[in-house]
Amino acid sequence: MAVIDFISGPGMADVIQSLKRGRVALYLAWSDTKARYRRSVLGPLWLTLGTAIGVVGLGWLWSELLKIDRATFIPSLTAGLIIWQVLAGCITESASVFVKQGSVIRNLQLPFFLLSLQLVFRHLVNFLHNLVVYIPVVIFLSVPVTWSTLLVVPGVFLLFLNLAWIALLIGLLGSRFRDIEYLLATLMPLLFFLSPVLYRPNYLPFSAHFIWLNPLSHLIEVVRDPLLGVVPPWYVYATVCGMLIVGWCITIALFNTRRNRIAYWV
Amino acid sequence: MSLRNQILRLGTGGKIESEAGHINLVTALRDVNLELADGDSIGLIGHNGSGKTTLLRAMAGVYIPISGKVVREGRLATVFEIGAGMDLELSGYDNIVRMGLMMGMTPTQARGCIPDIEEFTELGDFLQLPVRTYSSGMTMRLMFAMATSVEPEILLIDEMFGTGDAGFQEKAHARMRHLIGSSKIFVFASHSHDLLREYCKRIFFLDHGTLREVGLDALGTK
Repeated sequence: MAVIDFISGPGMADVIQSLKRGRVALYLAWSDTKARYRRSVLGPLWLTLGTAIGVVGLGWLWSELLKIDRATFIPSLTAGLIIWQVLAGCITESASVFVKQGSVIRNLQLPFFLLSLQLVFRHLVNFLHNLVVYIPVVIFLSVPVTWSTLLVVPGVFLLFLNLAWIALLIGLLGSRFRDIEYLLATLMPLLFFLSPVLYRPNYLPFSAHFIWLNPLSHLIEVVRDPLLGVVPPWYVYATVCGMLIVGWCITIALFNTRRNRIAYWV
Repeated sequence: MSLRNQILRLGTGGKIESEAGHINLVTALRDVNLELADGDSIGLIGHNGSGKTTLLRAMAGVYIPISGKVVREGRLATVFEIGAGMDLELSGYDNIVRMGLMMGMTPTQARGCIPDIEEFTELGDFLQLPVRTYSSGMTMRLMFAMATSVEPEILLIDEMFGTGDAGFQEKAHARMRHLIGSSKIFVFASHSHDLLREYCKRIFFLDHGTLREVGLDALGTK
């Protein structure tokens, strides 16, 4: 009975309908990106440039400060920053995704998850722009490119499948509780230091186990390890897949009960 | 709440209730029973806040009622707050495709609307410029054309006339008439008795969220 309710609920129907119109979300994400950089000469390449400058500056400074070899530090920092931008961007922006699109929700018949997908796709577009920065890093610092590098593809796939439920869940909560948007914006800098962005888990002077309690660490490593030419440890894949299943189940269960209220909240 | 406020409130709004102390709850519609079939064209009247827009949105499936249900069969189009979802930085053409997709068209269908909208809006080369550069009348033309570029079976319209200059007004009315003529069920909320008399065969009156049918005579005579 509970299974049938779960599958035939309004939230599940919304998600299925949104996935069928995935191309629409992709088009909207692309036109958002175009609109944002209209009238600038470099356009979306500003994203790339911004990341490049961040990497050069932080890479030089932190490798001096932490006294780490630049050839190992800069590739891991670059990959870390690129992935972190996606994570932080999706998490903070999704809290207000339904509220900002309130007029669309009240006037057009769009499935709500489509709006979350639009957000996630927009960050995917940004991510691909930023990934360009990583190419010279690979060439000049001779990062090993091996067969395990191909694991980037399933890694990115797992990352974005997870981000999709995270965006929907936070969007749902954020449209009812407006404090969540500010709470997340306040917490993100803290999470930045608690997540292995600037460092690798094995750099830590104390036990690295602690860092693995942070689910974001797993989402970062599942893409970063392959980028550095290494196969991620099995527990990273286990956690990421586990998050995917549990996350989606919880999100859809909640979305089933609350989906029809969102139009009243925004 | 003071007696004065209570009396003043009789003129507008739904019923405000309190739930669990802090949360204010507005009951916008109550005990609404309505069945419409092919060929019905309905006018909704009522004072500000009587629930006209809420009823239209419930019919469209935007607001899902807390008790009772809405059953709807047929392709739907709505003209509520037009222009929702438009991006002012994008060109007119980009916006046509964008809005079309949001209204549920495929990319090919959305691009298919372009010639019709070009012809109707008479915006010419302005369609290549960002919508930000348009005058408010031009923006209204584009928004109106986009909202009315579908041929629905069920058409729901919230008060929205008063578009552009005199010549365009005439064109807009002709387009509305065509759209209403081609749709099977038409519901129109308005304060304009002239328009209601022109487009609608039955009139419903909303009073603090309760609906009842009144004759066309309720609009008065010209």
